[in-house]
Amino acid sequence: MTASNRSLQWREKVIDPLFESRTDQMIMYELAQKLGFADQFLGKKDGKQNLRLVKVKGRDEPSMEDTLRNEVNKGCWTIGYTGQSPERLQAHMRNQHVFDVKTLRARGGKDAKTGYDLTGDYYGLPWPCYGSAAIKHPGSPNLYDTSKHPMDGGMTFRALFGVEKDGVNLLAEDGIANKGSDITTGYPQFDHVLLKKLGWWDELTDEEKKEAEGKTWANDLSGGIQRVAMKHGCCPFGNAKARAVVWNFPDPIPQHREPLYSPRPDLVEKYPTHDDVKVFWRLPTLFKSVQQKAVKDEMHKKYPLILTSGRIVEYEGGGEETRSNPWLAELQQDCYAEINPKTAADRSIRNGEYVWLSTPTGAKLKVKAKVTEGIGPDTIFVPFHFSGWWQGEDMLPFYPDGSAPIVRGEAVNTATTYGYDRVTMMQESKTTLCQVAKA
Amino acid sequence: MARMKFLCDAERCIECNGCVTACKNENEVPWGVNRRRVVTLNDGVVGAEKSISVACMHCSDAPCMAVCPVDCFYRTDDGVVLHDKDLCIGCGYCFYACPFGAPQFPQAGAFGLRGKMDKCTFCAGGPEPDRSEVEFKKYGRNRLSEGKLPACAEMCSTKALLGGDGDVIADIYRERVLRRGRGSEVWGWSTAYGLPPKPGAQPPVQQQQPAPTSGKS
Ligand code: SF4
Ligand code: SF4
Ligand code: SF4
Repeated sequence: MTASNRSLQWREKVIDPLFESRTDQMIMYELAQKLGFADQFLGKKDGKQNLRLVKVKGRDEPSMEDTLRNEVNKGCWTIGYTGQSPERLQAHMRNQHVFDVKTLRARGGKDAKTGYDLTGDYYGLPWPCYGSAAIKHPGSPNLYDTSKHPMDGGMTFRALFGVEKDGVNLLAEDGIANKGSDITTGYPQFDHVLLKKLGWWDELTDEEKKEAEGKTWANDLSGGIQRVAMKHGCCPFGNAKARAVVWNFPDPIPQHREPLYSPRPDLVEKYPTHDDVKVFWRLPTLFKSVQQKAVKDEMHKKYPLILTSGRIVEYEGGGEETRSNPWLAELQQDCYAEINPKTAADRSIRNGEYVWLSTPTGAKLKVKAKVTEGIGPDTIFVPFHFSGWWQGEDMLPFYPDGSAPIVRGEAVNTATTYGYDRVTMMQESKTTLCQVAKA
Repeated sequence: MARMKFLCDAERCIECNGCVTACKNENEVPWGVNRRRVVTLNDGVVGAEKSISVACMHCSDAPCMAVCPVDCFYRTDDGVVLHDKDLCIGCGYCFYACPFGAPQFPQAGAFGLRGKMDKCTFCAGGPEPDRSEVEFKKYGRNRLSEGKLPACAEMCSTKALLGGDGDVIADIYRERVLRRGRGSEVWGWSTAYGLPPKPGAQPPVQQQQPAPTSGKS
């Protein structure tokens, strides 16, 4: 289990699965057996086997220790899940008392069961924890912390985008490196060539050399390149600048662009959206032509208010499940629109009355007015957890018997307009236009 | 004997309704009956919005008890105000008398007929034997008899809502007020607990409780 501070915890099984249920790893192994690749699943090769089988409820399942050590640790050289072996994590669980609650670090202590020396480890070996378990990287309590040696949990920014772009150096500048680093300026990712150039190659053992020849820090399965780089105070993945210019995004530096349906034509002129794209993930996608049509059709006059949607604390997601729970459903029995007192007064809308909310899609939603200072006079907020009403009508008769949530209401996303963010592919549900009127 | 009290810290309450939901779930309170509610004042006004969670305050000199024509209220050794639903005639007088709107009435039957009164029990059940099924059906869970504190206060994620021994709660709140240098005025400390706390002040002197009686005060 990984906690939100990236510390890992080894958890022991509490009970065997009840009745006919099985563990996940048992199901996976048995499925692999049925599909005829059980040997590959267990990593059987040359008389060796990655995953030993253990008996649970009289059936075989792959050992979890082996799964972490021989699958996860071995397969994660580039992402820093290599040092967190089951043995180290289990020793942490047995000796929680030796870790400092503020720094997370063990000031000393030996595991009574295995003799493992805990000194210097951060609790749970917070990700990333580089190198093989044997070199005892302590884990990384804070990311990108150059004030520490890499073997004390220090880190640089990865040199992930090359070393220069348009003649500008992308690596860290002189003087920026980890504490104790033998290289005191930026450097690229480590590979066999760099190691040889630096004259550090011979610090690899003969075994490691065999494996590391022709390899980089990322695919040298001996872990030698990582070990030697970190010994010299260097991060195997290089030392670069944080990248603020993302040249492979449509806007290399984020810049304001008005939404497709904007309340301000003057701002559309100044901050237009992207041009239409002919092939965008295989689909022709409209941006600018939709925005300009909205301006031409004067949508901002017909729909002068900004419509935004979001969460409320009572419900979750689309709300089907939470609106079916009587304790929660009672707390919020209607879909509603938050309306500023001025906006409401201008339209003779009173708190708690039904209003019609309409948007440029032609949708009309019937929701309760919640008149509150909590929203500005130019904006309307509608929670997105409701469904079951369609343009003012409760769809209750269409639910199969007994399946209707206790509380139903208009789904705001039936009224939000076309458009989405080019980079994240996130639909535009937070900025569109609407009008509200007394129902 | 501890004197059970609630306190909701308006500087902390985030109007999440977790307490309300915890109460409903723990005591299986029917739809429309609210033993606890969260009240928000000045909703959306920056700097002026305040929420507090309110239930029965288990008054020392309880108006509900004073007016009840069938004398169905009683006070436990812990200072919790409970009532006997078998005696209650559902007249609603306590609802008029209570300064907090705590007594609730289920809509039972036609003509808006009132059912038996229901209110916060401080999670202490009713006159039936502790933790019996009939006690649960009528009054909800008897957590105090299990050595637990009220479900609502235990659930509160911000620890705005404190429920338990009044002395302990007063200590916690006093420390908070000292730490932030203000706060007691928001809630009306002086009304509830006498003068506002001063640095180094002793906990408020406990009022002598009337000797516990069985069923009547
Ligand atoms: S659970 Fe706590 S924070 Fe949430 S509404 Fe109740 S008293 Fe306020
Ligand atoms: S019901 Fe009202 S009057 Fe009676 S003890 Fe509770 S808060 Fe006081
Ligand atoms: S003390 Fe128990 S009955 Fe009273 S409001 Fe809290 S959860 Fe509900």
